[in-house]
Amino acid sequence: MTSSESGLGVGASLRRKEDARFLNGQGRYVGDITRPGMLEVAFLRSPVAHARLRSVTKPAGAESKVFTIDDFPGVGTIRANSALPGFRISEQPVLAKDKLRHVGETIAACVADSRAAAEDLAALCELDYETLPAVFDMRTATLPETALVHDHWSMNAFLETRRDDDVSGLDAIAAAKVTRTLKTSRQSMAPLEGRGVLAEWDSRLEQMIVTTSTQMPHVTKSGLADCLGLDEGQVRIISPDVGGGFGYKGILLPEEVVCASLARRLGRPVRWIEDRFEQLSASANCREHHYILTAWADKDGKLLGAECEAIVDAGAYSSYPFGACLEAAQIGSILPGPYVLPLLRCHTVSACTNKPPILPYRGVARTGVCYAMETTLDALARKLGITAEAIRLVNLVPPEAMPHRNLVGKVFDSGDYPESLRRAVKAIDIPAVRKRQAAGETVGVGFATFCEQGAHGTSVYHAWGIPFVPGYEQSHVRLSPDGVLEVRVGVHSHGQGMETTLSQVANEVLGIHPSKVRVVHGDTALTPYSTGTWGSRAGVMAGGAVAEACRQLSVRIAAIGAALLQVSKDDVVVEDGKVRRKDTDSSVSIADVARTWYRAPQNLPRDVDKGGLEITAGYRPDPDTGTHSYAAHAVIARVDTDTGEVVLEDYVIVEDGGKLLNPMIVDGQVLGGLAQGIGTALYEEMPYDEMGQPLAGTLADYLLPGSSDVPDARLEHMETLSPWTTFGQKGIGESGAIGPPGAIINAINDALASIGAEVMDLPATPERVLAAIHLAKSGKQ
Amino acid sequence: MSRISISLTVNGETKEVQTEPREHLADLLRGTLLLTGTHIGCEHGVCGACTIEIDGVPARSCITYAGACDGATVRTIEGFDDDDVMAALREAFAREHALQCGYCTPGMLVAARDVVLRLPDADEARVREEMAGNLCRCTGYRGIVRAVLSVLAERKKGA
Repeated sequence: MTSSESGLGVGASLRRKEDARFLNGQGRYVGDITRPGMLEVAFLRSPVAHARLRSVTKPAGAESKVFTIDDFPGVGTIRANSALPGFRISEQPVLAKDKLRHVGETIAACVADSRAAAEDLAALCELDYETLPAVFDMRTATLPETALVHDHWSMNAFLETRRDDDVSGLDAIAAAKVTRTLKTSRQSMAPLEGRGVLAEWDSRLEQMIVTTSTQMPHVTKSGLADCLGLDEGQVRIISPDVGGGFGYKGILLPEEVVCASLARRLGRPVRWIEDRFEQLSASANCREHHYILTAWADKDGKLLGAECEAIVDAGAYSSYPFGACLEAAQIGSILPGPYVLPLLRCHTVSACTNKPPILPYRGVARTGVCYAMETTLDALARKLGITAEAIRLVNLVPPEAMPHRNLVGKVFDSGDYPESLRRAVKAIDIPAVRKRQAAGETVGVGFATFCEQGAHGTSVYHAWGIPFVPGYEQSHVRLSPDGVLEVRVGVHSHGQGMETTLSQVANEVLGIHPSKVRVVHGDTALTPYSTGTWGSRAGVMAGGAVAEACRQLSVRIAAIGAALLQVSKDDVVVEDGKVRRKDTDSSVSIADVARTWYRAPQNLPRDVDKGGLEITAGYRPDPDTGTHSYAAHAVIARVDTDTGEVVLEDYVIVEDGGKLLNPMIVDGQVLGGLAQGIGTALYEEMPYDEMGQPLAGTLADYLLPGSSDVPDARLEHMETLSPWTTFGQKGIGESGAIGPPGAIINAINDALASIGAEVMDLPATPERVLAAIHLAKSGKQ
Repeated sequence: MSRISISLTVNGETKEVQTEPREHLADLLRGTLLLTGTHIGCEHGVCGACTIEIDGVPARSCITYAGACDGATVRTIEGFDDDDVMAALREAFAREHALQCGYCTPGMLVAARDVVLRLPDADEARVREEMAGNLCRCTGYRGIVRAVLSVLAERKKGA
C-alpha cells in the first residue's frame, strides 16, 4: 500500500494536527507568554507625519524609565538596500533621531511593570518639534517643489525603473485603444494578532533570546544581530503561535531592536505588544498603487501592446528585508500577467512619502497589477463590442506553449490557462445576468484571470540584490528512539497548517503515521536556516526539503532494517512505517530500526552509516524560476444605484495549484485570500489627510470583511503538475487575494454599463460607486 | 492608581481579585488569572476575539471593565470542557477547516455556541449575519459558517 492509498499522505484532506490546541484556547502567542521580572514597553510615537525633532523631555523623576536613541549609542539603523541601479538608500533609526518621517514612528521607549503604567509615562513625555510640509500624495511626491523626506536625496523616490519597447506604431494599426487611470488604496494587512516582542538576555549563554511574532525567524535573527552588533550565534529567535501574517510579519522591526537593547541594558525581560491603534496608525503599509495604463488591441481583442506609468507609495523607509521597491520594480515584469503581450513600455516609481514603510502584502504587487490589467481589458472589450471572456481567451497563453517564456522573461511551468476560464464561464450563470440586465436590473458579471509566481528562488532574487537571496531550503529529520519522526524546518506556519502538511509529506515517503511525525518550526536554535514563509514558497520549498530528507533517511532505515531481516538492502522496501522484504511479508517496523540504532547497537550491521538516523537535506527546484499557479475568478455583483451598495451574489474560482498536498488546507488558503481580496475591492482603506494623518484608527473605521460580506464561494480545481517540483505542487498561498478586485470591479462596471458609469478607484465604496454614477449621468446631460 | 477588590466566579471557581478601575476584563482574565485563551484583537468591541460569557450571555471582555463585574459569573474558552454544544462545535470546526491561525477561534466558538442555542432554525444567511460580529482574517468564513450550520443540523436530527 502506498501512502497516498492509505489516505494520510500527499493529496489527503487530513484534518489539521494543530487544531486541538487552538480549539481549546491553548495556543501560545507572544502576548500569552510572560517571564518573572518582565517589564512592559509602551512607545512614544510621532504624532505628526513630517517634522524636525528638536528634543524629547522625559518625565521628571522617571528619566530612568524612558529611553531615546541617545541611550543606545551602539545600535545601528535598519537598512534594506537594493542592487538595482539608482536605488536611494534610507537609514531607519530604531528610535527617531533629528527627524520624524511618519505618524507612529517610534521616538522613545517607556518601561513599567504594566503596559498601562508604561503608557502613562509616554503620555508625560514632552516633544519639541518643528512641523514640515507632509508628503502625503505619491503623485506629487517627486515634483521639485515637494519637501524632501530624506534631506540629502535629490527627489522623493527610492527607485525608478523603465522598460522601453517602442509602442509608437500601435495607434496606426490597432482597432481599439483605451487608457485607464486607476488607484488602489493604502491598506493595513490587519492580522487579528498584532505584532509582539519579548526580549531577554541570557547572561550564561551571552545570548539575546527574542520571542517575536514573525514569519521569518532566521532572517530576523540575521538582521537583529547586525543592528545590535552581536554575532549570529548570540541571537535566538523564537516565533511561537502567530495569529496571522500575510506579509505583516515579514520584517525586522525597530521595536525588536529596541526591546532587545532594553533587555540587555536593564538585565530584565521586556515585552511590547502592539495594539490595534498602533497597527492602524503606525503600520498601514501596503497596496497603494497608481496606474495610467494604455492598451492596444486588434479587432479580435488580441493585445498589440501596453504602456504603463505606475507609482507605488513606498512610505518613508526601506524595510528589512524586502525593501521599498519590491512592488513597483515588479510591475513591469508582472503586467503581462497570463497573457501573450508582444510589446510593453513601462515606467515605475517607488515614491518616498511621509507614510509607514511599505511591506509586501499577500499577492504583493500582483493584486494591484491584476486589477489594472483586468479592468483595462474589459474596457477594451466594451470598446470592441466583444465579451470579457472572448478578449481573455484570445490572449491567454495556450497550453501547447507550455513551458512558456514571456516577453519579460518569466517562465510559466505548466497549465491550461484558457481552460480555467472556460470552466469559470460554465460555472457562473451569465445568461441569467443578461436577462436581469435586459429587465433593467443593475447586476453584472465580472472576470479576472491571472497567474501567480511562487517559490521563485536564487535565479530571480539575486538580480534584485535584496539583503538576502533564497537558496536551498533545508529540513532536518531525526528518528527518535521511540520511532517518532521529528521534522525540523526553518519556515514558519501561522495558519497554513504546515504541521499537518509536512507530516503528510513525511508519511508519503516513509509511511510513518502523521500522528507520529512532529514538525518543529519557529525557533532558530532548533531549525535549519531559512528565509522563512513568504512568496507562496513553503509548500514547494519546505515540502521538497522534507521529502528529500525523508528519502535520504529511508536509505539508512532500509539498511538497518535489512540487516535485522538478514537480507540484502536491495531486497527490502520502506513503506507503511515498516521495512519489508520484497519477496515475503516479513518486516520490521521503523520503530524497531530506531530502537536498534539507539538502544541495541550491537545488532547494527558493521557497515552501518555512522550518521545514524538524522539527516539534514536541502532542496531547490530546477529550474528555480518559480511555479506558476493560475486561476479564473468569476463573480456576479448587484449594485444598488440609490445607495451605492454592492452585493456579491455568486463567486466562482477555478484554480490550478498543481498537486494539492492537502486539498482542504489549499481551499482554506484560497478562500481566506478571497476574503482579503474582497476587502481590497470593497471595504478596506486607510485615508490620509493633507497633513499625512491616518484617518482610520479603529476597526470600526477600517473595515474588514465580515461573514455577511463574503459569499459562499465555489471552488474548482485543476491539478496540472509542475514539472519542476517534488510532487508537482505549486505555490498557491497568495492566489486568492489577487483576483477579487479585478473581477469585482469588472462585475460592477458590467452592471453599470447601461448607465455608462465606470468605477476606477479601490475600494468601490458606496461613495465611489455613487460618484461614478453621478459622473456618468451629469456627463450625459 | 487605586485598586479595587472584586469577587468573580470564573469557569466554576469563585475568586477574589484586585483590579484597577481602568482595567478591562480581558486583561484581568489574561494577566491576573492566566486564562490566555481569551484573545485581544481590537480593544474596541469590534472584532470579537475577546468574546466570553458573562452571566450566561456572550460579551466583549475588552470593553467590559473588570471592576463592573463584581459578583458576575464568567466563562472563558477554558471553561467549556463539559459542554456538549461546544464539543460538537470543536469537532465541526476541525472537520470544516474553520480555523487557521487560531487567534479568533476562542471568541468565534463562544459566539457560535450562542447562535446554536438561541437560533435552532437559523439558515445560512442568518448564521452569517449573527456571526458578523466576530472577525476572522484567515478563513474567509466558509468553514466557520458550515461548521455552525452542521451543528444546527445535527441537533435538529437528534432532537
